[in-house]
Amino acid sequence: MTNGLNRRGFLASTAAAAGTLAFLGPRRLHAQEGGTLRFALSAYPPSFDAWASTGTAAGTIKLMMHRGLVSYGPDGALRGELAESWEADDEGAWVFKLREATWHDGSPVTAADVAWTVAEVAKPDSAAFRQGQLSLITAVETPDDRTVRMVTAEPLAVLPGWFAHYHMPILKEGEPRDTTIGAGPFTLESTERGVSLSLKAFDGYYKEGLPKLAGIEATVYADENLRVAALEAGDVDLSEYVPWQAMAQVEESDALKLDSVDGPFMYLTFNASRPPFDNPLVRRAVAHAIKREDIVAAAFYNRGGALAHLPIAEESEFYNPEFADAWAYDPEKAQALLAEAGYPDGFDCTLLSTAQYGMHQSTAEVCQAYLSMVGINAQLDLPEWSSRVQKGNEGSYDLAVMGTTADNNDPDGLVNVLDGSLPESFVRSYGIDTPEISALFAKGRATFDPEERRAIYREMEQVAIDTAPIAGLAWRAQGYGMKSNVEGFTNMPGQLTFYSGITLEETFFG
Amino acid sequence: MLRYIAYRSLIALFLVWLVVSLVFLLLHLIPGDPAELLLSQGNIAADPQAVAALREKMGLNAPLWQQYIEHVTGVLTGDLGASFRDRAPVMEQILLRLPRTLEVILAAAFLAALFGVPLGTYAAIRADGKIDAFVSLLSSVALSTPVFVVGSVVILIFAQQLQWLPAGGFVPFSEDPVQHLKLLILPAGAVGLSVWAVITRMTRASVLEVLQRDYVRTARAKGLPRGPILRRHVVRNALIPVLTVLGLEMGTLIGGTVLVEFVFNWPGLSGYLVAAVDARDYPEVVGIVMVISVLFVFLNLLVDVVNALLDPRISLGAS
Amino acid sequence: MSRAARKLILPGILVGLLVAVVLLAPVLPLADVRMMDVPGRFSGPSAEHWLGQDEFGRDVLARLIWGGRASLFIAVGSALAAAVLGTTLGLLGGYFRGVVELVTVRASEVILCLPPLLLALLVVTLLGAGTGPLILALTLLYTPNYARVVYAATLQVRSLDFVTAQRAMGAHPLAILTRTILPNVLPPLLVQMSLVVASAMVIESGLSFLGLGVVPPTPSWGLMIRAARGAMEVAPMLLVWPSLALAGTILSFNLLCDRLQSVLDPRQITAGGALWLHRPARKAAAAPQPAAPDAPLLRIRDLAIAVEGPRHGLDLVRRADVTVLPGQTVALVGESGSGKTLTSLALMGLLPDRLAVTGGEALYTTREGTTVDLAQLDDEGFRRLRSTEISMVFQDAAAALNPVLRIGDQLAETLRVAGTPEAGIPARVVDLLRQVGIPDPERRCRAYPHELSGGQRQRAMIALAVANSPRLLLADEPTTALDPTIQAQILQLFLQLKRDTPGMGLVFVTHDLAVVAEIADRVVVMYAGEVVEQGPVAEVFARPRHPYTAALIASVPEGGAERLVAIPGSVPPPHAMPPGCRFAPRCDFARPLCEAAAPVASAPAEGRSTRCIRWKEVT
Repeated sequence: MTNGLNRRGFLASTAAAAGTLAFLGPRRLHAQEGGTLRFALSAYPPSFDAWASTGTAAGTIKLMMHRGLVSYGPDGALRGELAESWEADDEGAWVFKLREATWHDGSPVTAADVAWTVAEVAKPDSAAFRQGQLSLITAVETPDDRTVRMVTAEPLAVLPGWFAHYHMPILKEGEPRDTTIGAGPFTLESTERGVSLSLKAFDGYYKEGLPKLAGIEATVYADENLRVAALEAGDVDLSEYVPWQAMAQVEESDALKLDSVDGPFMYLTFNASRPPFDNPLVRRAVAHAIKREDIVAAAFYNRGGALAHLPIAEESEFYNPEFADAWAYDPEKAQALLAEAGYPDGFDCTLLSTAQYGMHQSTAEVCQAYLSMVGINAQLDLPEWSSRVQKGNEGSYDLAVMGTTADNNDPDGLVNVLDGSLPESFVRSYGIDTPEISALFAKGRATFDPEERRAIYREMEQVAIDTAPIAGLAWRAQGYGMKSNVEGFTNMPGQLTFYSGITLEETFFG
Repeated sequence: MLRYIAYRSLIALFLVWLVVSLVFLLLHLIPGDPAELLLSQGNIAADPQAVAALREKMGLNAPLWQQYIEHVTGVLTGDLGASFRDRAPVMEQILLRLPRTLEVILAAAFLAALFGVPLGTYAAIRADGKIDAFVSLLSSVALSTPVFVVGSVVILIFAQQLQWLPAGGFVPFSEDPVQHLKLLILPAGAVGLSVWAVITRMTRASVLEVLQRDYVRTARAKGLPRGPILRRHVVRNALIPVLTVLGLEMGTLIGGTVLVEFVFNWPGLSGYLVAAVDARDYPEVVGIVMVISVLFVFLNLLVDVVNALLDPRISLGAS
Repeated sequence: MSRAARKLILPGILVGLLVAVVLLAPVLPLADVRMMDVPGRFSGPSAEHWLGQDEFGRDVLARLIWGGRASLFIAVGSALAAAVLGTTLGLLGGYFRGVVELVTVRASEVILCLPPLLLALLVVTLLGAGTGPLILALTLLYTPNYARVVYAATLQVRSLDFVTAQRAMGAHPLAILTRTILPNVLPPLLVQMSLVVASAMVIESGLSFLGLGVVPPTPSWGLMIRAARGAMEVAPMLLVWPSLALAGTILSFNLLCDRLQSVLDPRQITAGGALWLHRPARKAAAAPQPAAPDAPLLRIRDLAIAVEGPRHGLDLVRRADVTVLPGQTVALVGESGSGKTLTSLALMGLLPDRLAVTGGEALYTTREGTTVDLAQLDDEGFRRLRSTEISMVFQDAAAALNPVLRIGDQLAETLRVAGTPEAGIPARVVDLLRQVGIPDPERRCRAYPHELSGGQRQRAMIALAVANSPRLLLADEPTTALDPTIQAQILQLFLQLKRDTPGMGLVFVTHDLAVVAEIADRVVVMYAGEVVEQGPVAEVFARPRHPYTAALIASVPEGGAERLVAIPGSVPPPHAMPPGCRFAPRCDFARPLCEAAAPVASAPAEGRSTRCIRWKEVT
């Protein structure tokens, strides 16, 4: 969908995007119609650390307060944010031209801020979401206040996309990582931990006429049933994570509408730092032991599909039909693999999930039931979401149910899910060693030829199928529910659904 | 009376000291290293490095007596430490949320007393009648239905179907008094239901008992009409044990609104506690437990004092 | 089987059934609780799945039963563990007292300083979720409850004679504890047990609902309710079943506890606490008739008082004839159970519930000179007479005065009934207190009953009774509860009252013949609900005409005002009255004729009567 192409074409397309994106909407036309949007959040941000991987609910809050160099627009195309335009120069380095933007404290956004941000994130111990990628940037040059030049050892096609992620905003130089001073459309007025966040429109936002809302009142409804109840009762205008069992109900309601896209996927991660899941055979056995249709039905009320390979969508040009059923449900094969790995009678382990999202728990329960049939006796651990994230990051589990999206619709967007050379994160298996996959990702990043890239990622998937760094389970729909009069909010396509928070700047009451 | 209060306060202080020490001991006398205990999950062993870091963070490396003194002085000075999670001072968070929990409890107690005392009195006066049987059945059912079932059902009815009231959440009173009260109704009602059941039953039993007392016969012998007999002699005397029970119920509720706060998204102290428990944020858990226990002890003290005010016989006990 | 014990059947069966079902769960033909059938999810009831299938297509019935097993296992397990622990602590503390009590019972009570759910959460924090920590938490939680109950019961049993005897004989404390005391504290333990099981279930389900208790896929009602909430729109019954099961189980245990309590604690008042409050006006109040000019103040003729209800017709008082003239003092004398107090209560309309006047008449002449039949009045009719016309001094002033109202207020309240002007009330209160001989009445009127001495309380009681200058004062053993010197003082007070209010009739109920001699003009001797003899005091005492009177007089020690010395045998209970003369079984004069029919009254002299056919032989 995005990127890809040969190098020149690639550059051309991004430049074009940068050109068209310039200024959306007539200036000051909808100038601050006002109104405060009441937003139902599914979880309180575990922290305000702007660069840490803190989950999608936290990501939405970051998209209100912060901005990166670039972003994805509602159409899924890369567009400029703090960067007005960007292109690769002849040496293969990326040059970003910054626009005139101001921080919430009134000071201008400068190239130095960007350089500092990159340097901070790239520090080996930064534990930042993008640390692995940004460490590939060998130098950041700031020829002037408005220009940032990022040098890499070899040309990297996907580099601008890194800066579109909601866990990769630019911060003001010298600010703490959990600062609430950003350059985004809303300023954080007040918070109550675990309960609510109150945001106001930032009148110095760099997009004229935006945001349209006067403010956002984000309230955490950790209980998904109450989140739906609050939407139905009219307590909130917009709700993320409409639980699957309630989607039909929201669709049918006259007062509400549902914006749902397919994109996120469920998978299992492993703690590969110790037996038994350090053994790829065991991981593959797990992948073959689970009947995915049951997950789709039980956890997602059939709003999704089975996923028995890497999460590359069928519509993607990188989709490999030959792997479609690579991890298909096959209990005999699973048992054979277990026996081969030295566990003919199975073993006991813990299965980490969360009780906060019903579908995470349901997925875990189905997995547990099927695993028990091949002799793997998994004990469920179901803490609330932020603890689950922490446990995932610390490796306090054997097996874990996970659900997320890729960073974008390019296979390189899967790097965070698969690449074991990146710092530990709950989104991928703990302590896993994936030298071949890491190498293939690096190769893919540096390759501009589409055919070549396809071949690289095909090989990568083959390796993944054999070593099972994760075990794909299911595609799922992701829905936002809102009152009928909420306009301008878009659930972004495919893997970008969790970037949807960026459209809050255009949201208004119709 | 003052002497009595002073005497009871001393006992309460002693109890508080016991609780503070008990919480300290709970952590330190359980076999094994507390840091390790906190970090290990089921059959997964804790990472030794993390354990060492946590030991340091919790000050477990100091001698036990020193830890104890620090623990006690911290409590005395209102310093309950900072959250493991985000270094927020625990006391601050508690002070923010405690009033909300108290509000639900007080509202629930108010509703319970408002409906429970008259109904209980009426049931006693008409003991063994149809209304009595109905009230008795209703209170038994109310007492036996867990609050999360009641909560789920009232949300379905009043918020989702009828849309009379918001489903849950919280708005500060200063911001929007009307919405604040609307949000209070369902949680207070759900909590109040079981308290109502207790109050109704207690009132009924107590009124029945008082009706048998000689002084009620005396009141009749004095030629008083029914109304004054009931008001001045029956209900007034019968309410003393009811008030005691109400006070004790409220004490239990201080730590017991967990489920209601969860179901109605009411950001009170209990919800904070569950999150702290879930995250194993030890300073938070200990801090909340301490504050709630102290409140609990002093509420019981208050109940005793009010009792003494209402029943002049009691103050004899102290002298 | 008593009525109360029969009430145990229903909750007993419910709880028994419940326990049986969960115990038998492994052998019942139930589906596997973990067996998923995702395509069949949310299916309604079918032959295979009686209650349908849940969100994973698992059998709801099987999960319900196994869930109950998990819940009950935790609840009963912790209740038992806490019972063992708490009982041990309570027994030791209660038996040895002292330091042992401090380290057992008192120490465990510290736990009561923590709200229950909180303590459970604390334990879960330290040990993680799951069945084991839950049982531990609940055990800790309930131990002090048991310890308290057993401690209190042990204290009681410990001081009983047979325990003291065993101790004196050198029995080992452990043996005494287990063999003698433990069986005696079992009943309160049982009550506590059912209470704890219900309470533990509430906490367990709550924690499981929060995700801090039982871990899936182990079925638990709390978890089932949590899961069903999401699918409420699709399958509402999934929410209904576990909710019903949970509420029903708790209800059964609560019911069992309630009923156990009423069986084991017979003091509990169950029914009919206040019939007077809603007894319908029985009879149309007879219009007051003008009284004859020489009518006595009160004339009771053939009065009968009986138990109402199933045992209808059981006479407690019958054929009572008493006449009181203005200014006259009549003493009602007899042993306990003779009906003298009932008779006086009947005159005030204050008979206990279930007792009623069933015959005869009690004609009272009011201040206005009309005649009212007290045997026909309803409560409202009595209310108009009470205090201003007829008033009563009760036996136990400590109980008869409201403990939470000041003496002065209780008096003022009485004065208001007669319409005393509000302004005059405070002065009148002080006057009254002074009149009954309470020192420093200005201060004393602010005292609570418990702050007065026994004698002063009785004086205050008398002040209440005479506040509105009644024409007929009933005094029900007003001196019995007092020690002899105070008795004499109170008696002096009555004599004083008689002198001050010459027109007031006084009915003095007592069993003390010395008192009678001192205060009364006439004496009415009652036995087993009947008036057996009456007449002027001096005459009757000098020449009793009934063997019972004679025996009474004989039993008084020479020259003393001591309590009545019992006559051999005892008053027959109401349901076992001899057919003829009720005193016959105890009578030295009895002949077969005496037992044939109840003797009619004879008049041995002017103004006297006796119910003995051989009165002439009695001396």
